[in-house]
Amino acid sequence: MPIVQPGKRPAPRFLRSKVFGGKMMKGRRGVNADLNVVPMVDMMTMLVIFLLQQFSATGEIIFMQKDIKLPEARHGQMIEVAPVVAINATEIAVTGQKVAEISDLESDAGYLNIPALEERLRDEKKRWEFIHQRDPSQKWDGLVNIQADRKVPFRIVKRVMYSCGVAGYFTINFAALDSGAGLAAAVPGASPESG
Amino acid sequence: MGGGSMPEEGGRGKRKKSLDAVINVIPAIDLLSCCITFLLYTAVWTQIARLQVQQLGAGAPEPETTEQQKALMVTLSMGERGFGLSTSSGTSIEIPALGRGGDGAIQFDLRALDEKLKLLKNDHPDQAAITVSAEDTVSYGDLVQVIDSCLAAGLVAVSVTGV
Repeated sequence: MPIVQPGKRPAPRFLRSKVFGGKMMKGRRGVNADLNVVPMVDMMTMLVIFLLQQFSATGEIIFMQKDIKLPEARHGQMIEVAPVVAINATEIAVTGQKVAEISDLESDAGYLNIPALEERLRDEKKRWEFIHQRDPSQKWDGLVNIQADRKVPFRIVKRVMYSCGVAGYFTINFAALDSGAGLAAAVPGASPESG
Repeated sequence: MGGGSMPEEGGRGKRKKSLDAVINVIPAIDLLSCCITFLLYTAVWTQIARLQVQQLGAGAPEPETTEQQKALMVTLSMGERGFGLSTSSGTSIEIPALGRGGDGAIQFDLRALDEKLKLLKNDHPDQAAITVSAEDTVSYGDLVQVIDSCLAAGLVAVSVTGV
């Protein structure tokens, strides 16, 4: 509290009252300054609108990784929730857990499947079936997202695809960075199933 | 600020009542601040697309095809030499690769492929299925670009297989 001189100390309301004609002010000028918050509210409103446009209800399904540079595509669709198989130059991971190393795969090139990947994907499928066991409206669609570095050779991608197929995941989504005019929503007729 | 003036009245001594109203914007600022914090936290900045393909073999179910699609099978092979576009009706088109880049990667002629696929689609407007057959050395980036070209041409039912 500041030290004030004794005397009349009317309430601020009376101090500014026009009835007293400023007599109470005693020549003092008010130190209260009105802050114009309207531009701030405008800016915040625009920020909220911009962020709402960016908002995705599904969240981030595929996380960008430093060692995976995705290729670009112009005619992709919006990504869907499904297990993510990430392939970089050194390893293969399913939803963040490493299942195989590329060097091991290169050494046993005679085989087509990747047992650890199959097992992991089967676990994911079992989990899906357990969650949806009382929901007959949900049909198994066998969807899997493959997120690979652009330099990964097809011989690795082929083995991953084969293992996905053996584990029951036949519909494969290749992840790519969208470079077109926005992502198209999945529409009937634009999906491979509909032919 | 949005204020309004009272209409002129006849009486002299009557004081005009101000119509200006002060709106308390503090709750609005609080709400907007919360919204911005939440939206910034949940924002997805990278737009990742998906290119949906079916795989052939490995016990995969046969993709549903119409009679016309069964009548015409379009296969696009890609490898060291470039592209080979062939149909079951006997058409066969070779699009040679442009060479190799500085990093040793194959440089595919994607522009020529786009044109050929568009011509094919014009000749067969109902055709939607195509099988992409890639060699082992083809990179994931090139495969994705070829699938993207197929989708751009209207061939939306892409199946991928190895050679």
